[in-house]
Amino acid sequence: MDLSPFEANNSVSCRLVSQIPDVCRTEDCCLGIDEAGRGPVLGPMVYGICFCPVSKKEELKDSKVADSKTLSEEERENLFQKLDEAKSYVGWALQILSPNTISTSMLQRTKYNLNALSHDTAIDLIQYALDSGVQLKEVFVDTVGPAEKYEQKLSQRFPGIDVTVRPKADSLFPIVSAASICAKVARDRVVKGWNFTEDLGEVDTDYGSGYPNDPKTKAWLLKYLDPVFGYPQFVRFSWSTAQTLMDSKAVTVHWDDDEEAGEKAAQRQNNRSMLSYFSAAVGGGDQSAPHQTHRFFTERKLKSVDAL
Amino acid sequence: MAGKKKRTPNLQNDSWVVVAADSVINTKKHDSDPTFVRLRNPATDGASLYLLGSGDTQLYEVKAFEEDFHSWFVGQIVNRDGRLLFVTPMDPLYLILPYLIKSGNEGKFQPVHQVVMDEEFPACSRLLSCTRAQASLHHIAEEKEVGSQKFYRYSQERTMNWLKKKVERIVVALKKKNISVGEGVKSSTYVRAQIKSEDQEDDYLRYAHGLISEYICEDLSKAFLKHLGLPELTSPKETEPPSKKRKLSDKPVEAGEDYTKFNSADFARKPPKKMTAAQKSLAKVDKSGMKTMSSFFSPKVKAEKK
Repeated sequence: MDLSPFEANNSVSCRLVSQIPDVCRTEDCCLGIDEAGRGPVLGPMVYGICFCPVSKKEELKDSKVADSKTLSEEERENLFQKLDEAKSYVGWALQILSPNTISTSMLQRTKYNLNALSHDTAIDLIQYALDSGVQLKEVFVDTVGPAEKYEQKLSQRFPGIDVTVRPKADSLFPIVSAASICAKVARDRVVKGWNFTEDLGEVDTDYGSGYPNDPKTKAWLLKYLDPVFGYPQFVRFSWSTAQTLMDSKAVTVHWDDDEEAGEKAAQRQNNRSMLSYFSAAVGGGDQSAPHQTHRFFTERKLKSVDAL
Repeated sequence: MAGKKKRTPNLQNDSWVVVAADSVINTKKHDSDPTFVRLRNPATDGASLYLLGSGDTQLYEVKAFEEDFHSWFVGQIVNRDGRLLFVTPMDPLYLILPYLIKSGNEGKFQPVHQVVMDEEFPACSRLLSCTRAQASLHHIAEEKEVGSQKFYRYSQERTMNWLKKKVERIVVALKKKNISVGEGVKSSTYVRAQIKSEDQEDDYLRYAHGLISEYICEDLSKAFLKHLGLPELTSPKETEPPSKKRKLSDKPVEAGEDYTKFNSADFARKPPKKMTAAQKSLAKVDKSGMKTMSSFFSPKVKAEKK
């Protein structure tokens, strides 16, 4: 697995692929999808697909791929090695969603949540397999969100393919286990060798599991909190763990889509109180009204300054 | 979460982001540095910030581009004040004018340094050292020379002519810069097909008058509007129709729309929206043996029989 395309620029999303085995273009194939690194506040989320001819399912089972969570790191690496050796009939593709991609998606003006991001990534990967000429007949997916809805969405998107969405699919279907191993191995390697684009000097890499409830991760987040910039791009800013820490420890930053409510916001936006429409007009003329700045200046947000 | 954030007051900061011509800070010719001064704003009568170039030879006004949610990254520093200050050349006559008008009421010819005096803004006398100031006073005042001394008296007629020239030059500038001046145009980025230029001539004139009114007092602005031959705009308030209800006809009131179609069978009600958690849990409650709410309001038949 060559991670260099992602390491060259780890702020964006990146796709890594194996060669497409020739048999996959001619025989009916099954495909498994799984992800790694959904929960951590640190590092990327990796989506993996694995595919092989339906006829080779048994061979895959014999290679003892299993849910990646039940395996040690070493076992996972070994299994990935095996999968790579079986490249005559097993293919894989990975989509690495950088923490920066996750942050900017979830925090942009029109919110793009993690489930939508996951679904779209999965769809893109299936589409990639189809575009590469893989004869897909069956797709097995570990669910994100309600399984039935997801299954319906995928079936609609890919008519003619038999889509099965199940929770814990990675322990039920060997092809999903294989995908989960690919994803997990890629995530482990990326996190271990993370290239910090920020100039942090000697970075303390002892950040634990990366999960929000890990005390080591929390300590690391506190240590690398910059009052102005927050965190390095390695951190998912959209995670509430990161946000709460920034809210309490970092400088407050205001954005113009911050939701403000109540009288103060109304006042700031120069809204008239509803009550003012019912009261009698005060006075008659606008004679006493203060000087009204010409629209040339108001349109350009230009104001006179009375002091520096 | 965001709603709880409070904006701390903008603390005194010691750096600003300023756009200014190089000539503003060119101090080679004179020994004094350019300085910010507070002077009386002719339009508002309040204080505004101006800048006098080195040697007080040139006057500049200071305008700030100010919008919510802006900050600066300057070098290695974050500046919370997101304003962008513009220092632009200004004709000092605009600032001298109010003083001349005031003294003009006395009707006497006076030496100008006796006129341009202000206890509140003592720096105003420095305006007279601007290269353009003394030489152009004849645009707004009558001059008399007695010996080596010059005396001035405010002239409304000269001022009007001077302002008119200014307006003409503004109109030229507005056209050159393609600034939309029509009433209906709100966005300067919205490109619309050129309208007949004759129709727009008045719009340009009015717009230019509005711009110049930023630099003169209200009374003068009104007089100048008359001088330009533009009618005063009535405020939209006065043109609003009375808010009385009017009877349109004596015919009996009839429904304007047929609502009976909603009574037909094929008009199905929309399924109820998602229930809240509380409603869901209530729906699950075992209701067997419970009386309906309406039963409490119906007459008690059994009781009467007994």
